[in-house]
Amino acid sequence: MTEHRWTELAAPYALGSLDAEERAEFERHLETCASCRAEVQSFREVSGLLAQTVPPATPPAELRERILRAARQVRPLTPRRRTILPWAAAAAVVLAILGGFGYWRAENEARVLRTRLDVAQSQLDSTKYVVAALLDSSVAITDLAATGKAPSMRLYWNRARNIVVVAAFDLPPAPAGRTYQLWAIEKGHAPVSVGIFNTSPTGRAVITLAMPTAVRPQVSAVTEEPAGGSPQPTQQPFLVGSWSGGR
Amino acid sequence: MAAGDERALGELYDRHGSTVYALARAIVGERADTEEVVADAFGQAWRTAGQFDPARGTVTAWLATITRTRALDLVRARGRRSKVLARAAQESDAGFATPLASSDAPDRDVERQETRQLVTRSLGALPEAQRRVIELAYFGGLSHSEIAAELKEPLGTVKTRLRAAMEKLRDALSPRISQVEP
Repeated sequence: MTEHRWTELAAPYALGSLDAEERAEFERHLETCASCRAEVQSFREVSGLLAQTVPPATPPAELRERILRAARQVRPLTPRRRTILPWAAAAAVVLAILGGFGYWRAENEARVLRTRLDVAQSQLDSTKYVVAALLDSSVAITDLAATGKAPSMRLYWNRARNIVVVAAFDLPPAPAGRTYQLWAIEKGHAPVSVGIFNTSPTGRAVITLAMPTAVRPQVSAVTEEPAGGSPQPTQQPFLVGSWSGGR
Repeated sequence: MAAGDERALGELYDRHGSTVYALARAIVGERADTEEVVADAFGQAWRTAGQFDPARGTVTAWLATITRTRALDLVRARGRRSKVLARAAQESDAGFATPLASSDAPDRDVERQETRQLVTRSLGALPEAQRRVIELAYFGGLSHSEIAAELKEPLGTVKTRLRAAMEKLRDALSPRISQVEP
């Protein structure tokens, strides 16, 4: 099967419309193919936006309290607790055998568990990808700082593969409707966008972006921009760092 | 949110509650079922927030995925069909895109309003056959072969249409899609 054949499956996969056999096949392929994973992710954003086309409806006021009340009784899962998975999966299987109501519940449970396993798998893939990008002799490193205080950022530029791994620290998530944007700046040229990103509520982010091949940056900088990013920076960068040695 | 801050859940609800509710309502139809789906969806978001990774997609897409899955699960568990399918069976030109384009959504958030209009316009701009396939897949939760059976069209035609429609939508919506590099 050619790469092309696989790429075609990214859109229907993101919509959940592949038939079971094709889906299983494609998921195996996704484990090893970062470009198909990126395709899937972009189509997932498209399908997420489709939710906005439904007729507006106003939820009843008491629903908010019902949700918050339910949340008080459940602690959120932390990543550590995923270690109970095999146990819970076994329990789900036992329930499934019991049949009836138990079966229906177990189905739901199993679905939730499968989703979590998918998430865990994709996180592992993305970690492997980041580690592979970092462990290379061609990697250049620079620190971006705001006059020595928090927030700060470290960039790892894998020049052989033109990948930049961005590690951000103590950077609160961009406000609603805004995003952070990383720029590559070559002296005498307009800044070139490397990509947009956001941080988690803990102020951390580890993401990979593609360094544009047309630029030989001496400097990298971060600005805050409207969601979706800007073609050129619209404000002064708040994080700046220089690349020693150039390309 | 990931840290289990209950206030964060309240904020998440205030920001996305009406979108989630409208999506659930469009799929399940009945009010009591809609509320159940919305409560379930936020419950799941609360329990699994630690696994949400902003570098891999937006909160909106994450919540929409959870909600849609929950809504379709409930519809199936009730042995019913998605409201969209029921509508599609009645009206030959069923679809949200046309009526919505002129409706004034009570949404004061200008940027969301713009996004909503852009998405609605982009969906409405698709040839009807392509839009239909997208609606059956997304709101009806149907697979390729189920859509082919529903429309009595060849499977290959359905696959081509769905892919072409998604690619057009992605192009049209690219300003609203965060770039997530592999």
